[in-house]
Amino acid sequence: MNSVWPLLITLTYVAIAMIIGLRARNGCAKNADMNSLEEWGVAGRSMGPVTLYLLIAAGSVSAYTFMGAPGWAYSKGVAVFYVAIYLAYLALIAWYFGPKVWQFGEQFGHVTQASAIADRYQSPALGALAALVMAIGSVAYAVLQTIGSAYILFVMSGGMIPIWLGVLSVLACIAVYLYASGQRAIGRTNAFQGVLMLIVAWAVGLWAVHSATGGLSFAGVFERIQTEHGEFLTLPGAGGDMSFSFWTTSIIVSMFSFMPPVWTQWMSASSARTIRRSATWLPTYYVVILPMVVVGFIGIFSLPELARADTVALEYAMQHLPVVLVGLLGAGTLAASMSSSEPFIHSVSLSLSKDVLQPVLKLSEGATGKLARLLILPIMFLVVAPLAIAEPGSLVMILLVGLGFASQVLPAFIGMFFWPRASRLGVMAGIVAGFLVTVAFTTLWAHPLGIHAGFWGLIINLPVFVAVSLITPATNAEIVERFFRIAAPRGFTRLGGAKK
Amino acid sequence: MKRLIVLPTSRAGWGLLVAFVALVLAGTWPVIGWVNRATLVMGLPLMVVWSYLIIFACVAVMLVGNHIVERDDHE
Repeated sequence: MNSVWPLLITLTYVAIAMIIGLRARNGCAKNADMNSLEEWGVAGRSMGPVTLYLLIAAGSVSAYTFMGAPGWAYSKGVAVFYVAIYLAYLALIAWYFGPKVWQFGEQFGHVTQASAIADRYQSPALGALAALVMAIGSVAYAVLQTIGSAYILFVMSGGMIPIWLGVLSVLACIAVYLYASGQRAIGRTNAFQGVLMLIVAWAVGLWAVHSATGGLSFAGVFERIQTEHGEFLTLPGAGGDMSFSFWTTSIIVSMFSFMPPVWTQWMSASSARTIRRSATWLPTYYVVILPMVVVGFIGIFSLPELARADTVALEYAMQHLPVVLVGLLGAGTLAASMSSSEPFIHSVSLSLSKDVLQPVLKLSEGATGKLARLLILPIMFLVVAPLAIAEPGSLVMILLVGLGFASQVLPAFIGMFFWPRASRLGVMAGIVAGFLVTVAFTTLWAHPLGIHAGFWGLIINLPVFVAVSLITPATNAEIVERFFRIAAPRGFTRLGGAKK
Repeated sequence: MKRLIVLPTSRAGWGLLVAFVALVLAGTWPVIGWVNRATLVMGLPLMVVWSYLIIFACVAVMLVGNHIVERDDHE
């Protein structure tokens, strides 16, 4: 690729994102202190429905949409749509749990998921454990997104920006506005990135369809696939590896993975109603996936010899689309990866400061707020950057184990929203048992019987959680009542008996 | 406390729970097996059309849910 336009367009996007991120702090109240956890961590609980909609939407649509999803369509076919379905289910989860989490945060002062867990079970150790292990999956996720960003800069610059420089440049840009404006920067930049991604995905998708079929209807693409490669239109897909059981258990495990940045996003809303309104319309955003997936399907017959499936959209664009669209695709993909890595870096910094370092070092709230802001720098440049530059082969494995763990924290939430008898030791026992099973079934014997390792973890985790909870002391009744006044404002149901 | 759990307390609440469960069932096995055919509907694979039907059904159910929650005036 000889034109400088793709790189110019991509760099213009980065400059705009930086300006928006830096200016985001202007939205603070005059007396707001950016060093406070309330302000830097959850934007003073001030986000309106549109910003929150785009914040959650852009955060959940990672570089996967522009690289991984077309790659899955190219190598497996319709199996890729499990992602669209579980993202819609995550909106149902946000609709039900988000308003309650917001109320916990507003009434009890929580700014992180782990601090809510520590409070409900009166156990800073359980909060710290949740924070630390969630950090593993979060860092791995941020590293993967950073690698995606650096790869885009490498391609758009025709190899002039090497991967190491791309990694450091992208992280430096994020660091500047994340330090300056915290969660407000994430909200504003994600809003911009969310709109950009939607426009770019449809522009690239429709142009690709036009160049492949001469029209603008997706039908021409799928009629050809149906005739020549029918196996791409059904499960288990062309690779034969997306069985009904793996499809189903992947959706269920992903649905119940309450990742910490999502929790922080809910707590950044201006009201419980705001979350409900945003969650209601959230699934509509996932129309962003369809056109990029169609590009992957076009690649099946137009780029049959591709070495790396996840480069299909970029390769097709570079061969068949005008340079301006190639540049926009670069900007859109970079937007997708940056909008997903920022919330994870922010949430790791916030949670390690609040839930691990504050109790260990006995820090004041003010000192913890300053520490959270500064901690993004070592996290980015001493952890994320070296890992992204080294691109360890086991990274995806670390991510899978990390995400597998995320679903294993489910008992903590069952005890927060549904079952008052859940105990600290029950939750710990369930998490440890589920985590060990998930690790074993991810690394030693991957997904036995075609069932997701995280699902196997839950099969063991939940009975252990219930059994140990029943034989160990419950949390102080006053604390439990405080939580359930919000989680169950109309009282409980007694199993086999009357309402209480 | 052992046997206390949180369940819907009204007919509308139970209706919403049933709708949520039905949505999840619609996107997983065995229902997904019934739409797993290499046929096209309006030019798109049946699996794709089904996925987006579920996605927009989620919006519809949450809109009804908002109406119920706001009518009952509680969070």
